[in-house]
Amino acid sequence: MAIVAIIFLLGGFFFTFVAALGVIRLPDFYSRLHASGKCETLGMVLSFLGLAIYEGFTLTALKLFFIVIFIFIANPTGTHILSRAAYRSGIKPWTRKGE
Amino acid sequence: MLDKIFIGLIVGLVLIILMMLVRVFKGPSIYDRLNGLGVIGSDTILLIVLIGYYNKRADMFVDISIAYAILGFIGLVVIAKYFDRKET
Repeated sequence: MAIVAIIFLLGGFFFTFVAALGVIRLPDFYSRLHASGKCETLGMVLSFLGLAIYEGFTLTALKLFFIVIFIFIANPTGTHILSRAAYRSGIKPWTRKGE
Repeated sequence: MLDKIFIGLIVGLVLIILMMLVRVFKGPSIYDRLNGLGVIGSDTILLIVLIGYYNKRADMFVDISIAYAILGFIGLVVIAKYFDRKET
């Protein structure tokens, strides 16, 4: 069981690091939001599932599974509401012709 | 063996949070700063649980992590609704 937990934890850390790298280096606001919206959610879900596998059948594992469900609902909702606020306030998407 | 992996993940998450602080201080619009703050808040949930596993008291730190996740999400939604349709 510990090997599976280690694989899940390292995979989750990889996706979190890729999300941070995308937020630093991508050229536009909407592409940065895309990097942090999807990779961040997958990395968090993989990490918490790895911790729940390491824990076994206890109450702490149930709480970790509740955190997974909450992140799976809340993180895309936050990304969508931030994107809508930015689009209504007039930030134009980046195109190759415009630059 | 797993304690070393927890220490490595804690150090890596602190480095990721420092990378996000660059975007928070340098962002061109105010929404970039909000995005960086959202990523920091989402990383801190995992950081709290990993510190709990390193101290071998994970059952207490998981509750703190649930409360931090809910409060961070509510704060992000409120600030994003406040900056809706404002010329910044």
